[in-house]
Amino acid sequence: MKKIILAIIFAVMSIAAMAQAKKPTIMVMPSDLWCNKNGFMEIYDNQGVEEPIPNYRMALISSDELLPVISQINGLMADRGFPLKNLESEIKAISQNSAEMAAVTSKDGGGIQTNPLMQLRQRANADIIIQITWTVNTVGPKRSVTYTMQGLDSYTSKEIATSTGTGTPSFTAETAVLLSEAVSQHIDEFCDRLQAHFDDLFENGREVALAINVFENDDDIDLESEFDGKELREIIEDWICDNTVSHRYHLADDNEYYMNFDEVRIPLYDEKGRPIAANNFARDLVKYLKGAPCTIAKVKAMNQGQGKATLIIGNK
Amino acid sequence: MKKIFSFIAVCAIALSAAAVLTSGKKADKDTQAYRYDIEYVKTAGDGIVEVRVASYAKKQAVALEQCTKNAVHGVIFKGYAGGGSAQSALSKEPGGEAAHADFYKAFFADNGGYRQYVTAVQSESATYMKVGKEFKVSETIYVNKKALRKALESAGIIRGLSSGF
Repeated sequence: MKKIILAIIFAVMSIAAMAQAKKPTIMVMPSDLWCNKNGFMEIYDNQGVEEPIPNYRMALISSDELLPVISQINGLMADRGFPLKNLESEIKAISQNSAEMAAVTSKDGGGIQTNPLMQLRQRANADIIIQITWTVNTVGPKRSVTYTMQGLDSYTSKEIATSTGTGTPSFTAETAVLLSEAVSQHIDEFCDRLQAHFDDLFENGREVALAINVFENDDDIDLESEFDGKELREIIEDWICDNTVSHRYHLADDNEYYMNFDEVRIPLYDEKGRPIAANNFARDLVKYLKGAPCTIAKVKAMNQGQGKATLIIGNK
Repeated sequence: MKKIFSFIAVCAIALSAAAVLTSGKKADKDTQAYRYDIEYVKTAGDGIVEVRVASYAKKQAVALEQCTKNAVHGVIFKGYAGGGSAQSALSKEPGGEAAHADFYKAFFADNGGYRQYVTAVQSESATYMKVGKEFKVSETIYVNKKALRKALESAGIIRGLSSGF
């Protein structure tokens, strides 16, 4: 009898835990603009193309202003019940990971290819990135700070919240203090917009993009191939329609070789309460296409970040 | 004769007390009707905001007293702007005041819970202006917005950023 009661209590607690959605993770980072202006960029050779990449580690250990502003925003968000991921801790984890990766070599002595941005994305995969930029204005002896705070959804790269403003001018205060005051002054409007984004997520699901590509294949399957009297693209669209929140999606473009869906609203969490990213959603579609009536053997999902996935049909 | 004087004195005291009570009630009605001005001055740090509030009443003392109530009321329901900055009201739910009428009635009662969130009143900053038959009294008040928000969120009166998670 005791066991039955315990089992019932455990089941009820599990259901209650599942019913509560997980909080999205948020992290504050300096913007590329700020990093560039302050000389915290490094050039990365991306297969012959030189790409500037922000050097967050150098910025954190060199700038007197960055750490106080990150701490200030972290503190203000923690007051709202939203403790943020700490960029400095993430950077340290990345350094540790880099050291471990550097030690890994292939049989013929080749190392693992990566770049700083990729490493950061792999580790610092916060759902929302708060990007901050600021400039110090000087009018005579008076100084003030103009700042912009942008909340970017990692899934869609869309700007979901923003706040910009200039703090009260001061004769004496340090830049860090001016910045801290300006952020406190404008954090409410930022949080209001963030709240509106969360409300939208709860109501309409997470927004992702999905692409379907057909490669040349031995079975001559393309998106116009028919299964049970229906074209493959029709079958795919029907599945997406059935599995999106309130059937919300937009088929931006399609032909017999590709389909591009955007504004696809997927549920926030699966039946086990785990967050769903574009890749998870695409994997479910792969499973569906591998089953009857399509029974396509050569189909796989390619992860392109949290908010985008590509499905490849045919040889790859 | 003494009795007559005593009676007149008692009547006068009772009448003036009634007048104060009536004007107090009138001031509360004005608050509910958002008949006051609130202007942002600056953020004083750790979630405390400095606002300049103007209240209207026939008696200066009533208007002055009502400023503290209006400061908290304004932060919750009206929002404020000034000095190139604007902050929205804590209560964003349309009809939120009516939906939680019982809570707010007790909260904004004389010596109600609202006083807890008024951290300082700069009485020396008060200015008085005669506007028609009334006085417009302005005063600078510090409101602990952070604590006020937390209290309203934990009482389930307003939604927090983490509500729903």
